[in-house]
Amino acid sequence: MGESAYSFSLTTFSPSGKLVQIEYALNAVNAGATSLGIRATNGVVLATEKKLPSILVDESTVQKVSLLTPNIGMTYSGMGPDSRVLVRKARKSGQVYFRQYHEQIPVAQLCRETAAVMQEFTQSGGVRPFGVSLLMAGYDDHGPQLYQIDPSGSYFAWKASAIGKNMVNAKTFLEKRYAEDMELEDAIHTALLTLKEGFEGELSGDNIEVAVVGEDRKFRVLTPAEVADYLAEVE
Amino acid sequence: MLATGMHGDARSLVQKARSEAAEFRFKYGYDMPVHYLAHVLADQAQVYTQHAGMRPLGVIPILIAIDEERGPQLFKVDPAGYFVGYKATAAGVKETEATNMLEKKFRPGPQYSRKEVIELAISVLQHVLGEDLKASDIEVGVASAADGGRFKVLSSAELDEHLVAISERD
Repeated sequence: MGESAYSFSLTTFSPSGKLVQIEYALNAVNAGATSLGIRATNGVVLATEKKLPSILVDESTVQKVSLLTPNIGMTYSGMGPDSRVLVRKARKSGQVYFRQYHEQIPVAQLCRETAAVMQEFTQSGGVRPFGVSLLMAGYDDHGPQLYQIDPSGSYFAWKASAIGKNMVNAKTFLEKRYAEDMELEDAIHTALLTLKEGFEGELSGDNIEVAVVGEDRKFRVLTPAEVADYLAEVE
Repeated sequence: MLATGMHGDARSLVQKARSEAAEFRFKYGYDMPVHYLAHVLADQAQVYTQHAGMRPLGVIPILIAIDEERGPQLFKVDPAGYFVGYKATAAGVKETEATNMLEKKFRPGPQYSRKEVIELAISVLQHVLGEDLKASDIEVGVASAADGGRFKVLSSAELDEHLVAISERD
């Protein structure tokens, strides 16, 4: 970034006070495959569509949900390559915190630091905003938490949220189906049903990715076989 | 690796890839896994899309290897920084036609022998370009367990063998 002659920001205000680059970044997000997250009383579930461009793609190499620390993970909707940058930065933040305090970073703090990175790219010279929204899920001393971070760098905690192409319908569905006393197993089923709503074709263990973090505080991505089992329960 | 697109950019990318792989081998004592090399190249491509003053490289690399742990692997990276593993893929001129042909002909799984997969690749290329190819028209690189897991470029003699086998089949 220092080498280029671009010391000015490419994200500039429009006369009406909008930052159009961020609006366009949100368009990129809304064009991406749907992702959603649900917070239960005893854990959080993340689910995302693995939209593959061709049957020739080896789906085992595609990983949309990423582990950040042992108890925090995230997924995205939007531009895959941009998300990899954020995954890397978030993982580093987690490690830096652990090196100093010998404790895992709290979810809210990791979220805040990642959001700060995204905000920097809306104001720094010679760069563009990230074309992704992130759903970050974790379990720490404050219990299960789900955060959504947008390209602008703003973030909110959610009980349940969806991002990407089908987010409007998905959120409406979640508003109806969400219950405060939902447990993790229910949340997984609800997540699968919500994905099913907007999905073209048949859901299978190979075209979606599901991850959970429970009271054990271990974030893990479910294997295609486990996903298939849950799908069978939901049918 | 095969890099298709702008010639100069391809040379630059190949240099980068070789350098990364050599550094990895030096640092960690074992050969760089192909999926990781693809990852590194893709991340570099992404940087070019996000920072002003740099343009994306006009080249698509296709990486193949026999991975120690995962077996035969095929990865394609594009200038957007998108990369993914494939069972079969194509890049460059007539990419769509080639991909369509591959989708029909390619059955996933280890049913293709080394000879069959080489001849499939050459015949798809021939079909899509609409001309009969000679050994001097093409370059074929193969990563095969039969060659000890190494990547090698086929010689003209070997190419002729395959081309003859294809034309006799048709």
